[in-house]
Order: sequence, then C-alpha cells, then structure tokens
Amino acid sequence: MSAPPPAGGSVPARALTYVDAERTLALRTDYERKETIFERPPELSSEDLGLVEHWQARGRPHRLPVGESVEGYGVFTFPYGPVTMGVPESGAFDIRTYGERVLELVPEVGYKSRRIASAVVGRVPADALLRVERFAGNFSASHAAAFLGAVEVANGIRVPEEELWTRALAQELQRVYNHVRLIARVAEAASQNVGLAQAHALAEESLRLMARTFGHRWAFGAFAPGNRFRRLGPDDRRALGERLRAYDREFASLWELFLGSRTFIDRIQSTALVSRADAIRWGAVGPTLRASGVAWDDRLRAPSPPYTDLFVPLAQGSEGDALARVLVREEEVRSSLLLVEQMLDRWTSVRGGEYVPRPPVEPGRGIVRLEAPSGDLVYDVRLADGRVAALGVRTPSQVNWPLFALGMRGAVFTDFHFALESFGLAFADTDG
Amino acid sequence: MTNIAGVLLLVSVIGLFAGAPLAILSRRLGYAVTLVASGLLVATAILVLAYGPVTAISWSGVIAEPESMRLDGLSAFFALTAGIVWIGTSAFSLDYDHHDTPWLAVAYSLTLGSIAIVLTSTNFLVFLAGWEAMTLASYWMILEATGRPARTFSAAFVFLAFGEGSSLLVALAIAAFYSLSGGFAMTAITVAGPVTSLVFVAALLGFGLKMGIAPFHMSEWLPIAHSSAPSNASAVLSSTLTLAGVYGLFRLLTLLPEGPSWWGGLLLIIGAISALLGALFAAVSEHAKGLPAYSTIENNGLILVALGVALIARAEDVPTLFAFALFAAFFQALAHAVTKATLFLCAGYIERSTGTVDLNRVRGRPKGADAAASGAILVASLSLAAGPPLAGFVSEWMILEALFQSFRFSVPALQFLGLLAGAAVALAAGLVVVAMVKFLGFTVLWKPVATDRTPRRWGLSTPIAALATVIVALGVLSPWILQFLTPAASTFAGYSLTAPVSGLLAVPNGWSIVSGSPFGILSPPALAIALVLGLVPPLIYFAFGGPRKERPTPVWSSGRAPSAAEETYTSFGYSTGMRIMLRGLLGTREIRQRAGPAIAAEVATPEAYNVDLEVLDVFKVVYDSLVRAALWFADGLKRAVMPGRIGRYLAYILVIVLIVMVYTALAL
Repeated sequence: MSAPPPAGGSVPARALTYVDAERTLALRTDYERKETIFERPPELSSEDLGLVEHWQARGRPHRLPVGESVEGYGVFTFPYGPVTMGVPESGAFDIRTYGERVLELVPEVGYKSRRIASAVVGRVPADALLRVERFAGNFSASHAAAFLGAVEVANGIRVPEEELWTRALAQELQRVYNHVRLIARVAEAASQNVGLAQAHALAEESLRLMARTFGHRWAFGAFAPGNRFRRLGPDDRRALGERLRAYDREFASLWELFLGSRTFIDRIQSTALVSRADAIRWGAVGPTLRASGVAWDDRLRAPSPPYTDLFVPLAQGSEGDALARVLVREEEVRSSLLLVEQMLDRWTSVRGGEYVPRPPVEPGRGIVRLEAPSGDLVYDVRLADGRVAALGVRTPSQVNWPLFALGMRGAVFTDFHFALESFGLAFADTDG
Repeated sequence: MTNIAGVLLLVSVIGLFAGAPLAILSRRLGYAVTLVASGLLVATAILVLAYGPVTAISWSGVIAEPESMRLDGLSAFFALTAGIVWIGTSAFSLDYDHHDTPWLAVAYSLTLGSIAIVLTSTNFLVFLAGWEAMTLASYWMILEATGRPARTFSAAFVFLAFGEGSSLLVALAIAAFYSLSGGFAMTAITVAGPVTSLVFVAALLGFGLKMGIAPFHMSEWLPIAHSSAPSNASAVLSSTLTLAGVYGLFRLLTLLPEGPSWWGGLLLIIGAISALLGALFAAVSEHAKGLPAYSTIENNGLILVALGVALIARAEDVPTLFAFALFAAFFQALAHAVTKATLFLCAGYIERSTGTVDLNRVRGRPKGADAAASGAILVASLSLAAGPPLAGFVSEWMILEALFQSFRFSVPALQFLGLLAGAAVALAAGLVVVAMVKFLGFTVLWKPVATDRTPRRWGLSTPIAALATVIVALGVLSPWILQFLTPAASTFAGYSLTAPVSGLLAVPNGWSIVSGSPFGILSPPALAIALVLGLVPPLIYFAFGGPRKERPTPVWSSGRAPSAAEETYTSFGYSTGMRIMLRGLLGTREIRQRAGPAIAAEVATPEAYNVDLEVLDVFKVVYDSLVRAALWFADGLKRAVMPGRIGRYLAYILVIVLIVMVYTALAL
C-alpha cells in the first residue's frame, strides 16, 4: 500500500461519498455504524480534496491521482489508449513499468465528457431526463431513477408507488444485464469462448426483455410521464416472470460451466487485490466494496420503496480479488432475479398507493443515493422555478478508478483485462 | 614454399611484438605494424593449411627440451582465425584508440604477440610462458580502460584472479602430462591410464576457465572483465583469448590417447550448461558489451558440446559422426571468433557515436550514422542468432545435427545425454535470439536519434564492415571453408579426414554440407543464391517501379498527443518477461525503496518510490560462500597460529616440513 495508516493505527471506517461543487455540503458513509452522515460545513482533509478534485474535474482529460510515483532502472511509461485495442471506451492509461509488471497505473479520463451536468441546467426535469439517461447507456435506469428521485425530493411531490416499482424493476433488469455482460467480458479476457458466447446471449436476452417491457433496450424514456411503450399489464408480467425463471435456470447452468473451468478461476483468483482498508479509504462502492468485505448496499442501508418492502439478499465477499468481485456480481444476478420475482408477485398490491419522499436537505434541493449496477450513485439536484438550477453527480465509476489503479500494482500486463472488467468501470459513467 | 611460409611466420610473430615498442613512438604506427603482422599470420596459416606444416625456427639448450616456432594444421587453423580477427581489430584501433598514453597500444600488441607464442610453440614450457604473458598483457589492457577507476581496477583484478586460476590448472595439466611423457615437448602419449584422465580434466578446467564456461562463468567474471575493457581489447579478449583456451584444449587432446567416452560426456554437460546460462544472461543483459560477452560463454559452450560429441563418437567408434562433430567444433570456433570480434567492435562504434553502452539509453543509431556500421551490426547479431545463411547459422546447424545423431551411440545413457544437451543447445539458441534481437532492435533498428556526436567515422566502420563481409562469406562459402579446414581436423584426428561436403539433387557436388551418411543436408551457397534471387524482383520493383507512393503522417500514438509517445519501451523492459518467468534460474528479486521521506497519505501528492529488479547468478551464491569459507579459514588459521606464541608457530612450520618430507619420500 502506498500510505501508512493514519495516526491511531487503524483506518477509520468512514468514507467520503459526495461533495457538492461549492464544497458546502458533504455526504459521508460510516461503515461501522451503517449510516450516512451529512456534513455542513464539511471537514475535508487533504486526502478528501484530492478525490474531490478528481470527481469535479470534468470536461477535460486528466490523470487520476493514485498516490505514488515510481522510478528505477529501465522503468518507462507505457501509454495505453485512448484509441487502442483492449480499451473498450475512450479512455487512456499510463502504465509505469520495467516491462511485463505494472508498477504504477494512472488512468486518464475525460475523453468522453459530454458536459451533461452543465447541459441540463436551465431545463425542465422532463427535458433534462433525456440527457441524464444518456449519461451511461448501460446504467441509464439508475441514472434516470436517481435524477427523478432527487427532483421529487426537491419538489416534495408525491409519487405513485407503482412508478417507483417500475423504476426498480427496470434497474434490476439492467443490473442483471450489466453483471452478465461483465461476466462475459471477463470470460472473453480469459478466452473462455463457449461461456463467452452463452453469457453474451444471456446479456442480449436481458436487453430484449428490457425492450419488450419498457419499449427501449436501454430503457430510454421508460420513466417519462405518459410513456406509451411500457407494457406492464398482467399478461406482460406473467410472461416476464416465466421468462425470468427460465433465465435463472440458464444462468445457473452457465455459472456452473464457469466454475468448472480451472483456467477461468485461476486467471481471476488473486488478481487485482483490493484490501478492505483500501476500499474504505478510497471510498470504493458497489460490488468492489462488497467483494472486499464491507457489507454495504444502498438497497439495504439507504432503502426507498420498493426495497423497503422486499427481501434484499446481500452479496458479499472477503478476498477483494477479481474472483470475489465476479462472485459478488454472480450472486447479485440471482438476487436481482429474486427481487424482480418478488416485485411481479406483489405488483397488484401496490396499485394506487402514493409515496411521500423524505424532506429535502434544503428547499428546492434533493440528494438521492441509490445502488447502480457498479455501485452507489449520488444525484444532487437543485431546482429553481421548476427548472434545474444545478446538478451534481457522483458516479460509481469515478470512485472506483483509483481502486483499479491500486489493484493493478504488481500485476502483469496480461492481468489488465481481467482486472479492468472485474471492476465494471465505464468511462462514459466517469466523464459524464 | 615452406621456406617462404617459415619466414612469414617468424616475421609475423616478431611483427606482433614489434608493435609494442613502436607504439611508444606512435600509437598508430604500433597498430599498423600489428595489422600488417596479422595479415602475414593469416597468409602463413593459409599456406600451412594448403601445403602442410611449417617450422620457422627451432633451437634447443635454452630450456630442457628442444623448442621450435611451428604451425601445423591445428595451430594454423587457430592462427588463421586469430589473424582474421586481429586484422579487423588492429585496423579499428587505428581510429579508435584516443588514449593520452600509448600503453593500451603496447598492451594490445603484447597480448597479440603472446597469443601467437601460445599458438606456435611446440614445448609446453614455452606454451605456459606465453599463456602467462597473455594473461598479464590482457590484464594491462583492461586496466587501460577509461571510465571509473574503481570499476576498472576491480574488473581487471577479477580477470587476473581467474586468469591465474586458469594458469594454475593448466600448469597442473602440464605437470601431469610431464609425468606421463617425461618431457615438455608436445609429443603424443600412447599409454592410456588414470593420469591421462587427470590431464584431461585439469586441462578442461584450466582452458575452460579461460573460455568462461560453467561453472567458472561465475557471476560474470568474463562479462565484467571483457565489457570493462576498451572495445578493441574486448574484441581481442572475447574472441581470441578464449580461442587460445580452445586451442589449448584441442592441442592437449591430440597428444593424449583416445579417452573413455565419459570425457565427451563431461564436455557435453559442461558445454550445454554453459551455452544455456550464457544465453540466458545475454538475454537479460543491458550492457552493449556485456551482452556479447555473455554470448561468448554460450558460444564456447557450443564448441565444447561439438567437441564432446566428437569425443564420444570416437570412443564409440562412429567415424562419420566423429568427423562431422569435429568439423562442427572447428567451424563454430571460427564463426564465433569472427562474429564476436565484429560485435564488440560494433559496441565500440555505438559507444563512440552515442556516448553510452547502456542499451536503455542507446535507443537508436545516431542520425546519419554510416550504413556500413549499421549493416555490420545487423550481420553480426543475425549471425549470432543463427540467421541463415550466415556463419553462425551454419555452425549452429552443424552442432544440432551432430546432437541429433546421438542415437548412434551404443550406450543409452550417452544417447540420453545427447538428447538433453540437444534440448539445452536448442533452448540456448532461442534465448540468444532474444538477446540479439534486443541488441539489434535497440541500436540500429530503432528510430534514428539526434546526438551531438559525429556519427560518421569511416575509420571505425570500414574494419567492422570488412569483418561483417567475412561473416557472410564464411556462411555462404562454408562447404569450401570446411574443405579448406580439413588439414586442421585431420591433425586433431591423427588421420586424414574428408570434409562432410557433398551434393544432392540439383546442387552440385561440394556445395552442400552433409551430416551422417547422409543424415541431414544443408547447402548454404544454394540457400544464399535462393535468398538473393528472391530479393531480385522487389529490388527491381523498387528501382524501376516508378515514384514511390508515400504519404507522411504524424506518428500515431493511440490518439494522444505525441509527447506521450516519446516514452518508449526500454531494452530492460524487453527482457523483463524472461527475468520474471525464469526467476528460479536468475534469482530475480525486486527491491522497492521509498525515494523520499515518508509523507502522509495524500491523494494529491504522490509518494516517490525507487524500484530495482535484480538478477543473481545461482553460481555466485556458491562462489560467495567459498570466498567466505576461505576467508574464515585463513582468518582462523591466522588467529590460531600466527600471533604471539613463537613456539606454536615453529611447531606449525615443523609439522609442514615433516609432511613434505614424508610425501617426497613416499613419492620417490
């Protein structure tokens, strides 16, 4: 590890979760006491400030700070990306190495910046939603739900409960898609071609289910008022439920195939280790955090309907390696399917109910955190005259990049793809 | 004709020594004289190989045995090889030696002269004197290196220590030989016995030490010493000093009766291990002169392997394989000496034109460097990497062909040993490719770089290019070269051999090298012709194909600004994969140290670390513990016997004298 633990000998189990642009308000997560703390004014350490600078340095390519610089005989920088084979999106890495072994990895993000957070300022929420959904296509349901939730909190308007259930349904379907696709990509990196093809087929299947249910493969426009393409009638729900039961079986047999492959397991076991202390210190979120032994899932720790009414299993690992992260995601595929099943079973009982959002942190301002497929996603919306006055977003990918960089230290080049895929990072999600 | 050759030989040996006093007058004059003398030596050797042995002078009475200056087939081959190398190095030195003092030139000349004494003497006392003079003169040459004195002294000391160890073992071999033959003259012994094996083993270790073979390659005594020397000296040391070791071994084997087959087996084992370790360390070396020096260990190992196969074949009575392996050994010695000299001179050229010998910092030939030197680097490193149809390719092919035929041995253990040695040699050949691609890739194949030095140095590049031409010629004309070397091989065999050349299909008789009867066949000239013919159409196209379609574009660096693309792969990085994969053999370990003071964990201010990936020779551990044990013993003895108590010290002397007396009485 790069840094000695702070005085006292132990890493405090608190992590910075969000800071707004003016740095007047901060969100902290206390993993020991399992609660979220609002700080106003925030006490930001220099370590926090480094993270905040990176979260807020949008709109231009910049190097993420990861806390070390390495020099030595024969050491050089290997530039990787942004337009190169193996880097799935536009993003780059500077790899310090003496050949073969990664001594230090510095991600360079910002190539994909579309300045969405500033582009939505001055628009009505329905209009802004179109842009927010396109933050990162594969996390669109989470972004849309978080944005809408924050708008509702800011406005203090009641939401029909069925609407919340619809959003959750879309999110869980998208989580299934993302996790299955991630497993497919790890399989691809490990040249597990049969499993790769089957996992891709399953991922495609989940996209088609999404399209049948919400009228769009990425659920674009699914939550817009008066969406005509939503098909959630009784027959649709029954068909979806049956299809998902088959899906569950297919996924279970596919996973058995993966578990039976020594090459697959060997290549991801002990790859890109993230210790529990590191995960908390750098504010890791989502499966990355849970795979390092921290039991935190927003659906359990900061729940809103329908998760308050459902049984949410917690997937957790302790090894902190790529295998643990993949295992957590595999469990979450199952738990998401279970959640969808519960929702479909109890759909009729929620009809007509209304949900009153929690009170806003200040008038016209709503902050919502929810569990996106790659982890905790925070939306901070300020409204003025019914229009978006300011938007603050902190995505899971932003937070998890340093963990990837840390995990890659000491790994060999060939570990790169397993490691990268196991974190489920997206440049689009980072850059906005 | 023999009279002329005799006079030529005398003149050339005197000329090699005459370079020393003349160099004091003028360095260039000294080198010019050694250049001419080397030419005369080559001419003499050619005459001897063509017309038979020649004796320049002989005298008696000065020492116990009659002595003469003589070249027979065997020594003529080595004189020819050395002479070719010396022509190149002397011509190179004319422009290379920029020292303030003439002492490098003096030591150079003395080294050449004493190697010539070693090659031409017919009496082991003179041989040993020449051997010792050669070691001392080489020691002086290494001392003349410019650069950090501490490193130079330690390199020279290491060289001297190992050189004297070699002399000691050679003296032991000669003493054992004397006990058999009753004289120091180089006359064959006919009676075999356990002492002949003692002569063989002592000679193998003594001469092998000079060749840098395992287990005496230590951690790099030869690479340290050879790479620290000035480049012209490195070339002479690495190609002809080790060649003297090869000659000594060959010469002694001609005088000994036919030995048991384990002699050959021992050669195979030592040779194969040397080849493998030499190649391995060459592949992970970052020093433009250290890399060729490790490659020398590999090549000398190959010579021993070929000789080992030959000895086993002789003991097992497989005459065709014996002849083929013997020719392979000779050709390997010739090919290696010329190629290695070229490569060391190339390293000197690189050092002169870029100011560094660190392959990580060389990074490309200087802009406008002359094509001759670049071509020479290409040819020399391709030849060492066994690229057809160059000399190194032919010798490597012959050695592997010889090993393939280990099934002809009657003893299964020997067959198996041949297989293992074959695998080791093949692996070494693969590792050397890595080393040579690195050498080549990070020098001439890299994008040209601007330096403040003057790259065009015809005085340096012409001799290199000439030697490179010899490498090509040796490879392409190898069937005829082998035929020409028949007298040398016949001298070794003790009976007349025929070169393993023949013809097959459309290839005319004498154009192909044939192993076995026939087992494998290779025609380097036909291969060369095919290669050239294959090159003709594209060359015609380039010459007459109209204007080239070229479109200059900026360098693509994955879509980032080119400034980031300036960061390039280092030569260290090129072979780190090997360091990590073979960490068991190389003892690789990473040393990670904080570069600055420990600072609080802060994201914005990165902590600085220094990382070093070190490799270690497993044999070095053994040597280190030997050194420690010797020091401990000496220290203990000193404390126990030497100080204060005169009585104890006298008792010690008395005991020693008694032991010596008892031993002498028993021996008589």
